[in-house]
Amino acid sequence: MSTLKFVLASPLAVVMIAALPQPASAAPWARGYVVSTYGFAFHYGAKPSAAPTDPGTDCPKGSAQHFSDEVHMRKALEQQPWRSKLEIENILRPPEIDKARLPTYVRFYIWGRAVSYRGWKKGIETYINPFAAPDPGQPQVTGKISDGFNLDGNVQTGGFVNRDGERGIDNALYRAWGCDAPFRGPATATLDLRQNVQMQEGLYTVVIRVSGNKDPMNDDNATVEIGYSPDKIVKDAQGNVASDYSYRIVKSEQYTKLKAKIKNGVVETEQVGQLHVPRTGWFPRQMGDANFRQGRFSLKIAADGKASGFVGGYRDWRDLYIENTFAQTGAEQGIRDYEDAVAMYYALQRNADGLPDPKTGQKFGISMAYRISAVPARVIDPVKPAQVRRPEEDNRRQKAFENLRVTVLKALSTKIVQPVPPGTGEGQFPAMERTIADLPSKDFFLKTLDAPFRMEEVDVHGNPLEKPAPERQVNNNPPAAIVATSKP
Amino acid sequence: MATLSACLMLSAGAAAQTAPKPEPVSASATASPETDPTVPHAKPGVYSESKQSATRFRVTVKGQTFTARDAMEKYLLYRAAMLALEQRSPWFTLVEGRSPGDTAPLPQADPSGYHYSFRMAYWRPVWRYKLAGSAAWSTWSPFSGAAFFADGKDPKTVSRYEVSADIVMQKGRMDDRNPLAFEPRAVSEFLVNQVNPPE
Repeated sequence: MSTLKFVLASPLAVVMIAALPQPASAAPWARGYVVSTYGFAFHYGAKPSAAPTDPGTDCPKGSAQHFSDEVHMRKALEQQPWRSKLEIENILRPPEIDKARLPTYVRFYIWGRAVSYRGWKKGIETYINPFAAPDPGQPQVTGKISDGFNLDGNVQTGGFVNRDGERGIDNALYRAWGCDAPFRGPATATLDLRQNVQMQEGLYTVVIRVSGNKDPMNDDNATVEIGYSPDKIVKDAQGNVASDYSYRIVKSEQYTKLKAKIKNGVVETEQVGQLHVPRTGWFPRQMGDANFRQGRFSLKIAADGKASGFVGGYRDWRDLYIENTFAQTGAEQGIRDYEDAVAMYYALQRNADGLPDPKTGQKFGISMAYRISAVPARVIDPVKPAQVRRPEEDNRRQKAFENLRVTVLKALSTKIVQPVPPGTGEGQFPAMERTIADLPSKDFFLKTLDAPFRMEEVDVHGNPLEKPAPERQVNNNPPAAIVATSKP
Repeated sequence: MATLSACLMLSAGAAAQTAPKPEPVSASATASPETDPTVPHAKPGVYSESKQSATRFRVTVKGQTFTARDAMEKYLLYRAAMLALEQRSPWFTLVEGRSPGDTAPLPQADPSGYHYSFRMAYWRPVWRYKLAGSAAWSTWSPFSGAAFFADGKDPKTVSRYEVSADIVMQKGRMDDRNPLAFEPRAVSEFLVNQVNPPE
């Protein structure tokens, strides 16, 4: 509410009023939107109310069930030949767990520590070094229907048909991750739901502005702008994203201006080498630029003024791996959401279909799209250029995430196993040590399970303690130079 | 069957069919040479490959000092993956060297519908070896149903051995439900820190 009042009281009101929907005519026009839902363009092939394990035309065996119970957990642990049977049994059912104050958390963190170390030998943290673990396998989409774009202009590639019947749709990310439990199904996709809730609660805002000089529903020389707004989404009394509020647009980053054509209310942009837009996420440290390569955007404007569409292109699959896996820790998300980031790493690499390395031919791009729904809004250029919000309180976590990003990229590019960067929480350290403190069998786990650090080496945030400076001998003799000058 | 027979006949005609290959220096072409993990060069004659048809290759590793079955088989798989990368094949399949009477179950796709870049359990090359003081070759097939060196012989007395497998280079999208399919880049990256050429 306050945002609207501010704008109406400002000189920008004139600009805003000009931006209101105008009747069809050959005059300058602009329409703005705020994105109300935003997420991977994954086509769900089962009934909306189905359970995650229910099959669909997308995933005939249902969603992934990694780590969901003892059967799946045992399957994961038995892949490491260096684990003893006793170790596996104790991980699955920690002895005397009922005597711990928080048995659910005890199991959660012991399982998390265990699945963080699945390398070909002990001591390799395999979310940071996924190539060092054998492929755990991932259910993949086998259906033929997908949303998205024909990015390469070839109807023979991609393997998907969209709901309008267009062939050659390139959405390899959907094939790789579309059966991943937290991204599948409108009712059960925990991470898809989470990222939308977080966006609507103010984590980030995406705005779109379409403008032209002819008819807003038919204009062959229109312009599309898409980008970030520092203004939090406004919701109505029913919790829906409210229409017609004003939002500033940031033009310095996460922003792209594209040429477009509009036909009967369908906006289609040109394809551009780089398309910058905010990426999806549910934690501040994940947020940033999606940077689609060979990017495109489309939007259908409905009779009620709302809009829906897609933005897509090729993204570097290593970025996708890092952004998803380390939103919290690989194990945290894995155990909680039945997701195995190591399996998803292999699925990304296997399904990569773009951005080939000129020397090796290895493809580092994967085709994908975000699905968008949007409501009308006023998208404005403020007098003082707007900036992306970066709250001070997020700095420590952002720094930890950047450390992880650099470390993982180094591991992936060199295939040299990298250690866990301190202070990141990865490997469930020190969370496991703290949580099992009152578990009678804790010594077994502290001795048996790998750990990135020892508790006595770190502070409360898991950062290494500074070693005290060594004590020095004091030399009471006068310096040699003084002795020399004091001679007669 | 025919494949196993062909593998077992390999050494007799090996000189005519095969050419020793130099060891690839690195598994990761994207990193600087100073930082890459490296697999040491194999001595001449340790590794060989022969083309059986337009797409089919036989890869063989020979040695005199037996250390562990797993180590030899992983090295052979690493070399198979490097060959596939050389051939610019996005994936390859193992041709199982089965014989009549073999009892090992046929590999199946994961019943839960999972897809894989490789499945180590299904990399099953065939073996032949000589024991110290014996001129005769013995054979062992992973498909026979017999355990490795289950005949009571001591593998430490092996004086020569050969491990071999036939692979077929594939094009197009990987059939990632095929349990005998291997994605060479994923395989090589998984193994590069693990393998060494045998002596």
